[in-house]
Amino acid sequence: MHSFGYRANALVTFAVTILAVMCSLASLSDNFNVPTPTADVKVLNINWFQKQPNGNDEVSLTLNISADLSSMFTWNTKQVFVFVAAEYETAQNALNQVSLWDGIIPSKEHAKFWIHTTNKYRFIDQGSNLRGKDFNLTLHWHVMPKTGKMFADKIVMTGYRLPEEYR
Amino acid sequence: MDWEGQKRSEIFMLISLVVFGVVAFGVGYAIGSFQIMMLIYGSGVVLTALITVPNWPFFNRHPLKWLDPSEADRHPKPQVNTAAPKKKASKQK
Repeated sequence: MHSFGYRANALVTFAVTILAVMCSLASLSDNFNVPTPTADVKVLNINWFQKQPNGNDEVSLTLNISADLSSMFTWNTKQVFVFVAAEYETAQNALNQVSLWDGIIPSKEHAKFWIHTTNKYRFIDQGSNLRGKDFNLTLHWHVMPKTGKMFADKIVMTGYRLPEEYR
Repeated sequence: MDWEGQKRSEIFMLISLVVFGVVAFGVGYAIGSFQIMMLIYGSGVVLTALITVPNWPFFNRHPLKWLDPSEADRHPKPQVNTAAPKKKASKQK
């Protein structure tokens, strides 16, 4: 500690090191949180179901998405990114996942929500395999922290089926 | 700052920063506010900097006793015979 500059440097370095330790502890504390989310997606209507000129099937749905994700929020949560994906199997691909809707939940107060919407992103197949297809709707979430590790998980909802014929 | 003051300043800095870090994390975790943790820690860092970095008088309580110039003149530095030219002029009485 031989001069002003030396002491200032030592203090700043040590302070930043302690800050790094505090942030990693904050991230570790997220592991103690056990989230208990609930979600439900209803397909209210198949608006239309067509084969596009390029040969791919496309379907437009109206969905009612309701979920309670408030148990995921901790003191170290910045926001939760949530999206709904349709998952199905075809002869070419073992798993197809098409994202239909996503949103950002900025705080715990907004975490219990329902939304009545058409699909935000287009549901287009690679090919024309969708007639009579059984599919799952999965609600995925990414819990984005203020510092540290991001947690991601999902709820799979099964039992949805597309019509046998185009309309 | 004298040597004793430097030592005290450094020890105080280390302890103070660690204490503020622990208190900030504890309070922030207990009330669930990340912002409060950052505020407590930030103000702790500023406070510690104000106390330890500038050259306060209370860090200079054990000043070094420099040799009095008249005393130094009575004991001239020993001459060292070397081939290389001297950079310092030695005191000759």
